[in-house]
Amino acid sequence: MTDRWVTFARLGEADLVRLAGEIDLANAPEIGREIVRRTGRAAAVVIDLTAVSFLDSAGVRLLDALVGDLDTQGTPIRLVVGAAGAARMTLQLCAFRDDLLTTDLARAAEELDR
Amino acid sequence: MTQDLRVPWEEDPGDLYENAPCGYLTTLPDGTIVKVNETFLAWTGYGRGELVGRRRFRDLLSADDQIYHETHYAPLLNMQNDVHEIAFELLRADGERLPILVNSTLGRDPAGMPRVIRTMILNATERRGYEKELLAARLAAEASERRVRVLQRTVADLAAAPTEAEVSDAVVRAPGPAFGAVSATVWLADRDRDQLAAVTSTDSASMARDDIPRGSSRAIAEVARRGDLHVIGSLDEAEEHFPELAVTMRRTDRGTVVLLPLTAAPADDPAAVEVLGVLGFDFAEPHQLSDSELGMVRLLGHQAGQALDRARLHDDARRREGRAIFLAGTTRALEVLPRLGSRARKLVERLVPEIAEWAAVRLRVGEAGVLADAGGPAPDPERLADRVAQVLLDGTAQFTDDDGLDAECAVLPLVANGRVFGTLALRMPPDRRTAAAEAGFLTDLADRAGLALENARLHEQQRTIARTLQRSLLAGELPADPRFAMETHYQAAAHDLDVGGDWFDAFLITPDRLAVVVGDVVGRGIDAATTMGQLRSAIRALASAEAGPARLLERLDRFVERVESARMATVAYAEIDLAANEMVYACAGHLPPLLAEPGAAPRYLLEARSGALGSRAGRRARVEQRTPLPPGSRLLLYTDGLIERRNRRIDAGFEVLARTYAGKRDSPLPGLTVALADMLVGQDHADDVCLLCLALGTERRLDRRIGADPVQIALLRKDLRGWLVAHAVDDESAEAVLLACSEAVANAIEHGYRDDPLGEVDIVATVSPEAVDVRVADQGVWAEPEAGGGRGRGLQLIRKVMDEVTFEHGAGTTVTMRRLRGRAPR
Repeated sequence: MTDRWVTFARLGEADLVRLAGEIDLANAPEIGREIVRRTGRAAAVVIDLTAVSFLDSAGVRLLDALVGDLDTQGTPIRLVVGAAGAARMTLQLCAFRDDLLTTDLARAAEELDR
Repeated sequence: MTQDLRVPWEEDPGDLYENAPCGYLTTLPDGTIVKVNETFLAWTGYGRGELVGRRRFRDLLSADDQIYHETHYAPLLNMQNDVHEIAFELLRADGERLPILVNSTLGRDPAGMPRVIRTMILNATERRGYEKELLAARLAAEASERRVRVLQRTVADLAAAPTEAEVSDAVVRAPGPAFGAVSATVWLADRDRDQLAAVTSTDSASMARDDIPRGSSRAIAEVARRGDLHVIGSLDEAEEHFPELAVTMRRTDRGTVVLLPLTAAPADDPAAVEVLGVLGFDFAEPHQLSDSELGMVRLLGHQAGQALDRARLHDDARRREGRAIFLAGTTRALEVLPRLGSRARKLVERLVPEIAEWAAVRLRVGEAGVLADAGGPAPDPERLADRVAQVLLDGTAQFTDDDGLDAECAVLPLVANGRVFGTLALRMPPDRRTAAAEAGFLTDLADRAGLALENARLHEQQRTIARTLQRSLLAGELPADPRFAMETHYQAAAHDLDVGGDWFDAFLITPDRLAVVVGDVVGRGIDAATTMGQLRSAIRALASAEAGPARLLERLDRFVERVESARMATVAYAEIDLAANEMVYACAGHLPPLLAEPGAAPRYLLEARSGALGSRAGRRARVEQRTPLPPGSRLLLYTDGLIERRNRRIDAGFEVLARTYAGKRDSPLPGLTVALADMLVGQDHADDVCLLCLALGTERRLDRRIGADPVQIALLRKDLRGWLVAHAVDDESAEAVLLACSEAVANAIEHGYRDDPLGEVDIVATVSPEAVDVRVADQGVWAEPEAGGGRGRGLQLIRKVMDEVTFEHGAGTTVTMRRLRGRAPR
């Protein structure tokens, strides 16, 4: 059911979560559950938001909780948001930490390898 | 008084006494013997000295008779002074018994006191023997009569028993009352499997549960082969010939076993005796059967055999009748299902459990093929796959599998047009006739099933082609322009019907002139789909800036003269001048479009009507109607499936549609056509439904009402985004308004209504050269957000992206927001 919005792949050692389309109150909880289910044992997590065309506070809530959990576990995480777009706007408005945000996948992989 | 005749020799009275042909005894009243004659002594073997003065008469009697003497003989004699023909048994000197008859007289003295008893004794040996014989004969006659009665009743039962089971029941009950047997069991010959199966027994413990192959060395098989009655008189005899039987006899404590074949011979060939079963019965003690009993037993065997033969014929006839009904019923049941998969499924569901315990249909259709199975246990998949492949290859049915473990599993080819396109595999239940025995029936079944499945396959193929064709024709890109928005919906009929000829289309004739079409071709299936495609192309080709709807319809009439299948197709056609906000429309036999203008109730466009394309009875003069189309108008074109229902008059349908459409006036356009179809026809509809809704121009003011359902927010956003783009609002501001509006609506749904699905949220957006204003209002309950909660973040976002935000709490909450256009990003 959530395939339209979330798909999973590998990026080196990290689990790559690709989000797409509009993430809002209607689908964020379900997407969140799916991500937690699939990345439970990941060494590192990269969330690619470049294909997200809309992100509301429910989506922000989802990402916030995810980052919190992974930080607690000591699992590195990066959010790839592109240079512009809906996701970057919302996340910047919510003042996400700069160390979490990257502009492309290559950079995210590089940062995690360090 | 006559005188004695004188004999020619001197008769000595003494000699007459001593050697008379009967015994004489003279005793005292207490029975003490005082005088006895020679005849008595000779019969009894006593000496005179042993008796006279030493023994009483009763001392010579057997114990029983001494009692009888005291209770009967003596009192009777005392009362009447004489007794006659009293039967006693005397004990002879050697201990042997001597049956006698006794007459006695009692002599009295002048005072009347008993003085002497004189007794005459007749030897009754002969007579007693005769009596005994009489008794034995009577007992034998009675037993025989009982046997005959039992057998007569059994024969009557047999005649009335229509099935093998009832015959067996009648037979197994006979040996007990007829011959005094302890228990009885009936085995029936299973011709298909060449074995004997125990079917019924009066004693469940003694009944052999396993089936006995006819070739086995066991006693029952031996009797069935020979067709002769067999009496195993004792355990020793059994041990010598049938050790297995001896084990059973010892276990069940039996002395004699009788095994009787149940035989029948055809009337035209009495020598060809067939053994249809075996009746076994047994006795606790070794038991000798008399000749007459053996005769009766044999008679029972013949009678039962004939009854079994009759029952078998009856069973056969009934089974044949049942099979014929099953075949006819199956053909009918398959015919009503149009789809291949459902036919295959129906077939196996009918087979199990009525005919088979497991059945599977495999069809080589499409890439994946079709498989339907039912029942169990399923056979070994590898072995089955091998056999299926073989049957597909050579097209020969395999009724048994002699090489495999699952010998009873049959595989039959499904053939159509000389091609094996699948298989029917099945296994009969173990207690029924084998697949080989039912070969004729199963072949017939496979033939019919093959035909029905092939028909469904051909039909399916055509459907798929028609569906694909129709999809490809409807899938064409609709024009996109900020000056209008469009929603379409096509919903195929339920119940697996063929595709219909409904279609919609929209295209730009010139950059400022939009054409929209909804039409309906007569008929269903592949012909309707191709005709629809031709008409659709014809309209696109014939439409021109100069022609207009009426001229277009005239040209279509000429087109229909050449394409006969398009005759009587109906079309609603409209051309919209996007610059002038004006529409020209025409309906050729089609239902009137429904127009909702801003601030007015929806109305049907009833002008510009003429007959269906190529109609001979309808009005041929093609007319058109011009009507202004203010920005914010919504035009709905649809096919008759939307409003026609069997149980509703069409004018009622028009009313319902207008009302529903009015109720959805403020709903976002995205999702509107689907919602209309859902509300008017639901899922269970008999006809195709085709809808096209065109929202015209850009409203100055976007006025929407949505249900309190998070899913609706995305639809609203889509609507709002189109509206913002149409008003050339810059991207940055548009994203800001979308985010703020989403958050405000989400807040109303999540907190104002706490997910109450009946709540509603009103959204009003207006645009001016300077700013975009949005108002989101609900009737829910306001709750102050907790600090740091997720909800606070939503409200924060609104404040960040909008330039002015106010919250008013009254009966519900109203959020009023303003975003200045083209402001520099913060």
